[in-house]
Amino acid sequence: MASLIARFGWNIFWLGRYMERAEALARILDINETYARDQPEGPDWKVVLDLYADTARFLESHDKPDAASVSNFYVIDRTNPTSIAYSIAEARQNARSVRHLISTEMWTQLNMFHNRLSELTQRDIRMNNLSRVCADVKMDCQTFEGVAEGTFFRGEAWCFYQLGKYLERADQTTRILDMGYDRISAHDAEGRDSIHWSVLLRSVAGYHAFRSLHPAGSAAADIAGFLLYDREFPRAVALCVERVTARLHELETRHGHQRRKSVEDARRALAFTLETGLGQRVTPTRLHKFIDDLQISLGDVSNEIGKAYLTSI
Amino acid sequence: MFKDGIIPEELVKDNKHYRPEMEGFTPPLGTYVHICGTDLVRDEKGNFLVLEDNARIPSGVSYVIENRHLMMRAFPDLAEGVQLKDVDDYGRQLMKALTQVAPKGVSDPNVVILSPGVYNAAYFEHVFLAREMGGPLVEGQDLVVRKDRVYMRTTRGLEEVHVIYRRIDDAFLDPKTFRPDSVLGVPGLFDAYRKGNVTLANAVGTGVADDKAVYAYMPRIIKYYLDEEPILSNVPTNICREPEGLKKTLDNLDKLVTKPVGEAGGYGVVVGPKASKRELAELRKKVKADPDNFISQPVVNLSVSPTLVGRNVEPRHVDLRPFALTGRSTWVLPGGLTRVAMKRGSLVVNSSQGGGSKDTWVIG
Repeated sequence: MASLIARFGWNIFWLGRYMERAEALARILDINETYARDQPEGPDWKVVLDLYADTARFLESHDKPDAASVSNFYVIDRTNPTSIAYSIAEARQNARSVRHLISTEMWTQLNMFHNRLSELTQRDIRMNNLSRVCADVKMDCQTFEGVAEGTFFRGEAWCFYQLGKYLERADQTTRILDMGYDRISAHDAEGRDSIHWSVLLRSVAGYHAFRSLHPAGSAAADIAGFLLYDREFPRAVALCVERVTARLHELETRHGHQRRKSVEDARRALAFTLETGLGQRVTPTRLHKFIDDLQISLGDVSNEIGKAYLTSI
Repeated sequence: MFKDGIIPEELVKDNKHYRPEMEGFTPPLGTYVHICGTDLVRDEKGNFLVLEDNARIPSGVSYVIENRHLMMRAFPDLAEGVQLKDVDDYGRQLMKALTQVAPKGVSDPNVVILSPGVYNAAYFEHVFLAREMGGPLVEGQDLVVRKDRVYMRTTRGLEEVHVIYRRIDDAFLDPKTFRPDSVLGVPGLFDAYRKGNVTLANAVGTGVADDKAVYAYMPRIIKYYLDEEPILSNVPTNICREPEGLKKTLDNLDKLVTKPVGEAGGYGVVVGPKASKRELAELRKKVKADPDNFISQPVVNLSVSPTLVGRNVEPRHVDLRPFALTGRSTWVLPGGLTRVAMKRGSLVVNSSQGGGSKDTWVIG
């Protein structure tokens, strides 16, 4: 079998990233809306803008972050590179370039998902509908993932798809944790019980697992530990990093690649940051710093993979 | 052929698809047209006639196979007990033919499909062929020429390419040899080809054979080279560059189909009996001004096929494009692209003019 064209490796890597990104954003919008249910003033949408460092860009074209403008910005605005619509359009464009490498069923599902999303209007995403739209997006992303799992040939291309997916997932888990942690720890300090921790865990489908591991507790530090380090939890950063390591190894053992030193160095740096960076006593400040470091390390691995394997010489 | 006056030399050499760069070069196995899609029609007497040659980049084979899949899915019982020949073998046969024409000494060649990219109207077919053949689908940007050898940029670095099934016109293949503004092509590709380090399918310059004036000479060319009568006849054709042909054409404009010779896709074709007086007058002026650019043919009453139109089944005119692959020998796909003129009475079947297509069976 001929080698994978570098440009197509790139397309597949980004197909994995964009699908995961769209799903994570749907989860974040959903929790943010749900958080607000016990707050008379409604959801604070600035939190989401801050999470993606989009505030300045958002304010260039909008007056203030309210429900209508933010949900429009993040769900259907295709000109916004951090929106769900943009991610899915990019995923589809990447998939289109590699239609000969992915399964017909993957293409069909993604194409139909893209069409459904393109038809959404402002009316469809108004506040009391947003949760349902987010659920639909999650379901479509997961359907795609299921179709890929069942039909995508496990060649070199699959490795790059998985690398993109798990690097993005790790990054997104850090963002979700970043967003939820402040609120939870604030309630911890006041000694109040909070629904926030359960909302956060439910948003990543981790509530049940967390409860069974910590039947009594709901300390912020426990939740952070779970999202970061629990290797049984599919969205935990540690599990994602483990998968990235396995796929990089597979490129060497099954697909005849030389080890790329630059990639291996970045991967080791990421593993090191993850294992040693947080320390024993977790404080909000330390967590934020740690999450920043993690995101930078994840970005380095992604860049090095791009440079070593997926860039035209 | 020129010396013996079989075909006027200027007709070939002044053709816009003629590539003097190919003079003195013979591609591997002497195969020029690896993929051929000749358009056939059936007249009122039931004779199959050649309507048009497509030796450049014939397209549409993906429809043949997809139509069959759709048909079998929609009507699974239809083919029961019928000895229906399979069309699914096309990709494998194409790969086999292209492997055979690899440069000398290459036993396990890398065969790729070169596409203009996702914005091309036929991109679907390029994807389809890549899947069916199991070869990489590449664009110009994925290929590079070093020391007259062609390489593709892979995740492992550069890997040599031996055969290119190119779905890009000659003019855009190599900005160093042909159009310098081409961004689709690969600089240096043509020199690598002439040095015999890479094979292009189809060969460069085959577009000359698609010309409707050259078509008119094909029976004479076959006779000249093979000393045989063609198995399939042409539609009788008046060549307007010959005085006799021009006279016949001008005298019978309202009864004939008149075609510009260099166009593809059915553009510029005037069907005499269906044309208005003004259209005919305009055509007369054009033919007189530039007779070399025209041929004319009697209206062939193309056979019809029952076609679903709205809620009714109505007769519609059809033609047939079988596909022939040539490496060491020639293989003909047992099926073909049947194109349908969807407008009542229309003889224009081209998909660019709203034509449809039908699953076509070869039985036995």
